[in-house]
Amino acid sequence: MRVLLIEDDPRLQETLVSNLRDAGYAVDVSADGIEGLYLGEEFPVDLAIIDLGLPQLSGLEVIRKLRKRGRDFPILVLTARSEWQDKVAGLEAGADDYVTKPFHMEELMARINALMRRAGGHAQPKVNLGPFTIDLTGQRVFRDGEEIELTTYEYKVLNYLVMHPDEVVTKTALSEHIYEEDADRDSNVIEVFVGRLRRKLDPDGSLNPIETLRGRGYRLALLLAA
Amino acid sequence: MRSFSLRNRLALAGTLVLVIALGAVGLALNAANERGAVSSLQARMESYVYLVLAAMEVDGNGRLRMEAEFADPRLNQPSSGVYVQVQGRADRWTSPSSLGLQWPDRNDVTPGQGVFTEPARGIDFFSYIYGVGWQLSDDSIEPFTVLVLVDESEIRQQTSAFRLGLWRALGAAGVILALAQLMIFFFGFRPLRQVAGDVARVESGQSERLTGHYPRELEPLARNVNRLLETEKSNQDRIRNALDSLAHSLKTPLAVIQAGLPLHGGKSEVSMQNAVDEIRHLIGTRLQRAGTSTRRTMAEPVEVAPQLQRVIESLQKVYSHKMIEVTCTLEPCTVFYGEKRDLLELLGNLLDNAFKYGKSKVRITGGAVDPDATRPGLWLRIEDDGPGIEKTQVSLLLQRGARGDERVEGHGLGLAIVAELADAYAGELGIGHSEWGGARIDIRFPAS
Repeated sequence: MRVLLIEDDPRLQETLVSNLRDAGYAVDVSADGIEGLYLGEEFPVDLAIIDLGLPQLSGLEVIRKLRKRGRDFPILVLTARSEWQDKVAGLEAGADDYVTKPFHMEELMARINALMRRAGGHAQPKVNLGPFTIDLTGQRVFRDGEEIELTTYEYKVLNYLVMHPDEVVTKTALSEHIYEEDADRDSNVIEVFVGRLRRKLDPDGSLNPIETLRGRGYRLALLLAA
Repeated sequence: MRSFSLRNRLALAGTLVLVIALGAVGLALNAANERGAVSSLQARMESYVYLVLAAMEVDGNGRLRMEAEFADPRLNQPSSGVYVQVQGRADRWTSPSSLGLQWPDRNDVTPGQGVFTEPARGIDFFSYIYGVGWQLSDDSIEPFTVLVLVDESEIRQQTSAFRLGLWRALGAAGVILALAQLMIFFFGFRPLRQVAGDVARVESGQSERLTGHYPRELEPLARNVNRLLETEKSNQDRIRNALDSLAHSLKTPLAVIQAGLPLHGGKSEVSMQNAVDEIRHLIGTRLQRAGTSTRRTMAEPVEVAPQLQRVIESLQKVYSHKMIEVTCTLEPCTVFYGEKRDLLELLGNLLDNAFKYGKSKVRITGGAVDPDATRPGLWLRIEDDGPGIEKTQVSLLLQRGARGDERVEGHGLGLAIVAELADAYAGELGIGHSEWGGARIDIRFPAS
């Protein structure tokens, strides 16, 4: 999943980026409102973390403009302004949640996770998919209670498919939401990840959890149970 | 000591001046009247001399012969108050009116000379003595003196009647002037009363500055008061902005420190984490309080309902997954006398706790404490169906002074901020249990 971070403090930006990447997110970063707005409008963002006190264009304005232009990904406001006046203003502008500075990194990650889940239509942190259980918080996958070891990228692919159930997901979309902008993308690599994921989830080939629609992309083939 | 009121000062000074002025006028008029009476009496006494001289005949031996009747009956009537005596070397005549009168000693005067004497101690008469040289038939000159006495009571009656009339007239004038003075004070002080009323309205928050039209003398005062109000407001804003920016600029570095600490680290990480939490708590409560403490006097009313709606909508978004059912019963026209951001802070913190800890229900009720008061006050009750607040935490939260130093987990920071706000607005905070077993927070700002 791809996260846009707009934060002007370089130290906090650095810490957040490394924590988000460790958690398996692709991260785009901006230190000011105008560039951040551009990234939010042009890039396939799954969630944005926006500081309210930004240079050039305030966080509130960025949120308003993004919403006005129909961008509906979840937005988490990150603010040093802990007053409710500012929180309410942020939520009214179109944000979905707020975290005030200073914060526990774990709390921020939990909020991001929850927002992502809610955006994908999952109220609970555990998603059941036939015999599979995906723990979105712990980023672990189980088959009939037994854990399946996945690499970061394999999990990212599965996670994206779970977040977009009943959709045909193209290889381009997958690579866009998994890799950062400047990464060297190759759609063949996605095919490799999907192949490996299939083998790990379904070694005997009886369930076929991920369908391939030739020339179009992939789709989760199993019914989701909440 | 309470200083003497302006009106009393002026009334006292005015009355004093009035009394002195009217008294002086009275004395002067009285003196002038007496002088006039005396001089007209003197003229009348001279005319008695001529009257007597006209009626007098002198024979060759210097004997006097007087006509029997005088034109003025007062010379004929005994004890009439007017007495005449003519004294020659050989003879003396006294007017019939002077029957039984004890004549005083007399000074001689040379012919042609007249001497007027006012009453003195032991002598109750005005006297006029006039010297005459009478040419006899042999051309020799026989000297006579004519003495006229007039009883002093004659003038006393006249002047005392005048004095009585004078004092009555002056007294009436004094009363009229005093009443006029009161009216002048009433109208003259009206602008002052208006200024006082306008200042009271500013104090109660009904207006922000003095806007009335005042007399020229009061304009500088109104201008200076307005300038003072502006300075005070800008000082408040400056202090608040300084505190705000201090609080906010502290938070980002704190976030960097905290983000670098694992939640479940070793002993040193835990103590650093605690230190960061403590600083965060201090910023949230102490700096907040410093910002609110100066805000009360100039507060204008803020309607509660729309702000409550904003907070509820915001929280329903944040806690959308919990599907909390919110019941809100607010009396119409419920207002908060204070800053909007303080009201939002109050509602935000209270409702955030309710949404966070409530399982499925949150209820808000509120209204005015005394709807008839100028400032009707405000009471709010927020209830949830969560686990409630532990007794030990309640006492810690309500204990003044302790809350900034003790870290209270759970409802802690939010309620601590609410408690600080309640203090700043002279309100009361109550913590109890709702009928569903969850937390019940009561907050009450008194009417005034």
